[in-house]
Amino acid sequence: MSNVPEIVVRSEFEAESIGDAVKADVARKLTPLERLVDMDGVRKFSILLALMIAWELYTRLSGVSELILPTFSATATAFYDALVNDQLLIMVKNSLTILVMGYAIGLVIATLLTTAAIMTRFGSDVLSTLTAMLNPLPAIALLPLALLWFGLGSSSIVFTLLHSVIWPVALNAHTGFMGVSDTQRMVGRNYGLRRVNYVTKLLIPAAFPSILMGLKIGWAYAWRTLIAAELVFGGAIADTSGTQSGGLGWFVFANQMDMRIPHVFAGLFTVILVGVIVESLIFTTIESKTIRRWGMQSS
Amino acid sequence: MNDGSQAAADSSAAAAVDPILDVDGVTLQYKTKEHLITATYRVGFKVYPADRFVLLGPSGCGKSTLLKGVAGYLKPVEGNMRLKGVDIKDPGPDRVMVFQEFDQLLPWKTVKQNITFALMNGGRCSSQNEANDIAMEYIKKVKLDRFEDTYPHMLSGGMKQRVAIARGMAMEPDVLLMDEPFAALDALTRLQMQEELLQLWEDTHFTVLFVTHSIEEALIVGSRILVLSPHPGQVKAELNAHHLNHSNVGEPEFAALQQKIHNMLFADRILEDELVHEIVEAET
Repeated sequence: MSNVPEIVVRSEFEAESIGDAVKADVARKLTPLERLVDMDGVRKFSILLALMIAWELYTRLSGVSELILPTFSATATAFYDALVNDQLLIMVKNSLTILVMGYAIGLVIATLLTTAAIMTRFGSDVLSTLTAMLNPLPAIALLPLALLWFGLGSSSIVFTLLHSVIWPVALNAHTGFMGVSDTQRMVGRNYGLRRVNYVTKLLIPAAFPSILMGLKIGWAYAWRTLIAAELVFGGAIADTSGTQSGGLGWFVFANQMDMRIPHVFAGLFTVILVGVIVESLIFTTIESKTIRRWGMQSS
Repeated sequence: MNDGSQAAADSSAAAAVDPILDVDGVTLQYKTKEHLITATYRVGFKVYPADRFVLLGPSGCGKSTLLKGVAGYLKPVEGNMRLKGVDIKDPGPDRVMVFQEFDQLLPWKTVKQNITFALMNGGRCSSQNEANDIAMEYIKKVKLDRFEDTYPHMLSGGMKQRVAIARGMAMEPDVLLMDEPFAALDALTRLQMQEELLQLWEDTHFTVLFVTHSIEEALIVGSRILVLSPHPGQVKAELNAHHLNHSNVGEPEFAALQQKIHNMLFADRILEDELVHEIVEAET
């Protein structure tokens, strides 16, 4: 048994008094550099800056044709030119108007579907079956049909947008509602929440992370679908409606036809820019004021 | 004190005051995916005002289910439950529940808002100002002032349970239901919370129905203990523990009662073991 280690008995001691810890050691103020690095915007902007520099350097040094890949500076100039001369902002506005219309109607329909799904088992079956069937179907594939049904006009595009908004929003909201913990449900009922109050004061905030996720995905799908639809049919729609302006997608398409490649890049850049602005201004603000503040999502 | 005088004391108390909660011959069942489970079988007890009534038993004795029944989340298939003489039908703010889970606090509301939310929706307050005042009073009682504008995710487990208790007490329910409220806490915090609960009780002598599986906790927290047997839950005994608290832990009387309950709960275990032995022997 010599292999088994024995307990080493040592003498006991108690600390007489514990000195105060020096304040600076317990909590130290962060240096300006540390705080700068902690800012989301600063970090992300430096990535963008690096990408721009890499782009400019590559196009200048490799001597690639302007028609294949214009330089960053040419794209920036084209972007400025489009803003001033080609009414780019009006095109952005045209696109966003249709988008908001489709998004809003889509949200209403998604809300109705989700309400039916949480109230009845039949509604839940309908939602999950429809979602399983229609969610994988690309919205743009519906555009030819929409043109047949609604004719050349913004209503056709709105119809395809509906398709890209409804399913992700309804599916995520439904998943969120299903995931609300039993304890929280019981707490709500304990304090007398019934029907509408129960949904608005308990279920919706408790499911908010999922709902917001659905809204984000729905927005991104809708934006993609819109640009794609305008790329293909936007010119025709613009012509028949007589405004001669069209949307962003049409701007990209028309400039490609004219071989104004820097303008094509400027158009794509605008598509990205709008996406980033909506994401960072609207959704990130909502996130930081709600679910991050509530600790339902780590920041 | 002999059994006769004990019974006499009981009946005289019973004659003077009506019970707040009267559970009579209650059988509770619930369904899982594959089984219908009888959680309690014809359980009866009476809770009087200012009782710290403890439901004690091993897991599977249906004590939590019983509490959910009293809260109104579950309807008995047999027997009835009356609160102040009225049949319990639905959950309501006259019986507030404090859960074991920390997520009982609504994460999108601050500590104060969690309490005012309950006060306003539970119909105890009609104005926000009044609700704020009451909320602050109870936040002070559970020693959480300075934290009233904090969101729950920033609080420790013990602090969250304090908020839940403050929220429950602020409603001034007829009976406060506590479902193993300290079970998810560490041992030191649990001890502290038990003491604090008793101090709070000293102030207003509110009525508590408390579920636990710890014999020690039952003796410390409870004034009267209902011992339940498992599978399905049936009443084994109803014992007094109003004279015991933390200061008695380790004393002979405390230890004796602890041992007595221990034996009650484990008598079944021994019987089951013997049964298994007999079956095994019969088969061989």
